[in-house]
Amino acid sequence: MSRHGILSAIFAARPPKVELPRVPDFAVSGDPLENFMSALASYDGRALRFASREEAISWLTENVSNKEVKVFSALRDFKGNIDRSDLRDPHAAHEVAICVARGVLGVGETGSVWVTDESLGVPAAALLCTDLYLLLRSADILPGIHQAYRAISMRRLTYGSFFTGPSATADIEAVRVTGAQGPVSLTVLLY
Amino acid sequence: MKQVNQVKLGARFIADTPHRVSHDRCLWAARMRRDKVASEIPGWEEMRALASQIKRHTLSNLDEYLRQFEQRATANGVHIHWARDAEAHNATVLRLLKEHGATVVTKGKSMLMDECDMRPYLEKNGIEVYEADLGERIQQLDNQRPSHIVMPAIHKLRSDVAALFAKKLGSDPANDDPRYLNSVMRRDMRRNYVRVQAGMSGVNFAVAETGAIVVCTNEGNADISAALPPLYIASMGIEKVIPRQCDLALFIRLLSRSALGLSITQYTSHYLRPRPGQEMHVIIVDNGRSRRLAGEYWEVLKCIRCGACMNTCPVFRRTSGLSYDAPYMGPIGIVLEPSYNLNRYARLPYSCTHCGSCGNVCPVKVPIPELVFYWRDLIVRKHKDELTHRLEEGMLKYVLLDARNLSLAEKLGLWGLRTLPESLLDSPLNPWARAHANPEPPQETFRQYYNRIHRSDHTDS
Repeated sequence: MSRHGILSAIFAARPPKVELPRVPDFAVSGDPLENFMSALASYDGRALRFASREEAISWLTENVSNKEVKVFSALRDFKGNIDRSDLRDPHAAHEVAICVARGVLGVGETGSVWVTDESLGVPAAALLCTDLYLLLRSADILPGIHQAYRAISMRRLTYGSFFTGPSATADIEAVRVTGAQGPVSLTVLLY
Repeated sequence: MKQVNQVKLGARFIADTPHRVSHDRCLWAARMRRDKVASEIPGWEEMRALASQIKRHTLSNLDEYLRQFEQRATANGVHIHWARDAEAHNATVLRLLKEHGATVVTKGKSMLMDECDMRPYLEKNGIEVYEADLGERIQQLDNQRPSHIVMPAIHKLRSDVAALFAKKLGSDPANDDPRYLNSVMRRDMRRNYVRVQAGMSGVNFAVAETGAIVVCTNEGNADISAALPPLYIASMGIEKVIPRQCDLALFIRLLSRSALGLSITQYTSHYLRPRPGQEMHVIIVDNGRSRRLAGEYWEVLKCIRCGACMNTCPVFRRTSGLSYDAPYMGPIGIVLEPSYNLNRYARLPYSCTHCGSCGNVCPVKVPIPELVFYWRDLIVRKHKDELTHRLEEGMLKYVLLDARNLSLAEKLGLWGLRTLPESLLDSPLNPWARAHANPEPPQETFRQYYNRIHRSDHTDS
């Protein structure tokens, strides 16, 4: 059996024991929110700041709802024009042009937003849409990756990802192009 | 089997000035960005040392961590498979696809699947396989292997891609704007995503503590491949496991900074469970790795495939990855490939100038410069090398182990430089002269110079 064969070959080959070191808390200097905004901009993402969640939602209503394209929303307080039940087969997410969802936490160091299957509603919609909007509480922005991983629980998670700006590629002569396979734009609405 | 002659294959790329210049410029820019971001975060060298130790710890307990990962992932509802070699891996993939009646596959970039030659195998068995990473797709359409771990088509100019896409995807041959070429790829892939029945990807890290597999991409292609179809298959080498989530933080901070000088990949994604209605499979592959673990060169298994060693290597930057004619290229390739096939790759460890830069940029401190000597020594002892290398080594042993012989050799060298005709020095007997002009003969040998200075020091005091 291959499992047994592989594991016993590994056991026989193990190099001398090395201790597992403690990983210290690498502090990140500066204000997490400011770091987040500038890092996100460097990844061609856009950040908008609002005084409250209500304001962010009304901005969405004004700027997104009137578009004559398919809008999927994973938020309870903002409705799109395509339902979750329409996307039971994720392939159907091809129709989604705009996706609105919730970010769980932000990372100042990298400008990343931690999203999960639960916060995105339908991950396929967040990946196949053209324009992605993520709502994030400013208070949920942590200084760095180390702090983020300490705060994140993988229990009960199907999928979790650090989204950092829209999808991008630099595979042709290292020229950076946004809108590779996934979203062409990412807007983070901070409140 | 014929030996890969990297020098000869690389010479073609060197002679092609536009490609060589662009390649060198792109990779060196990545190296400079890496230096910049590494200097911007405090504790970079401490992080490298920690990452190396965590990898060494994990490898010294590898069977236990793989068992722990398997147990957690299985509890999460993930199917775990074990494959002893490339054939077993490919057969497992094909069986899973057949069980699901899947014939259309999109896949993220995976060095392991390339190492296993999986794509041709699946295609032979009637599966349509679409590489979803732009660089990898370019290489698929051009029927070439990737030339770089992170930037698979970086040896190509935009005009090459425009011509290729025009031929294979019907795009405008006159438009070589990377933005346009990306949009051609995007449109073409969307047609494949609509039909995709199974998604595949490699694995950057597997976390024993949680059972998570972590996949890092910039394009989001692996995420789409996993999110749409009812079947998701990920393949990982046994060395991809790390103990804890806090270790993952360290590796994530090192990976993209080392690779491209970016603080993180755009999609740093964690897969723990299949979504409702989906099956998720992880194939754990040995393919010679447990043998490597037993070798003196076991630290090659620490490699996290960032490509930093390639970006900095003066040989790689000028000859490109294809000249290594192997799944793994550049500095890590020349110390890894001989362990797959000593005879075929016996010349690769000689494609090195001993500048040591790869060892300095490696985020997990793989001792590449030392391993080059390990392989050369083994290759000479096993007589797998070229005659000139053996003559060179034989001569050096004679000259370097005896001070009198060395002194004699110095005088002989100076005499030769002064006396022998240029036609003889520049002959094919002296390959060094191919790219180097002979120096003006100095007045004295180094030893004569040193003794003179040394004596005058004494007189002064």
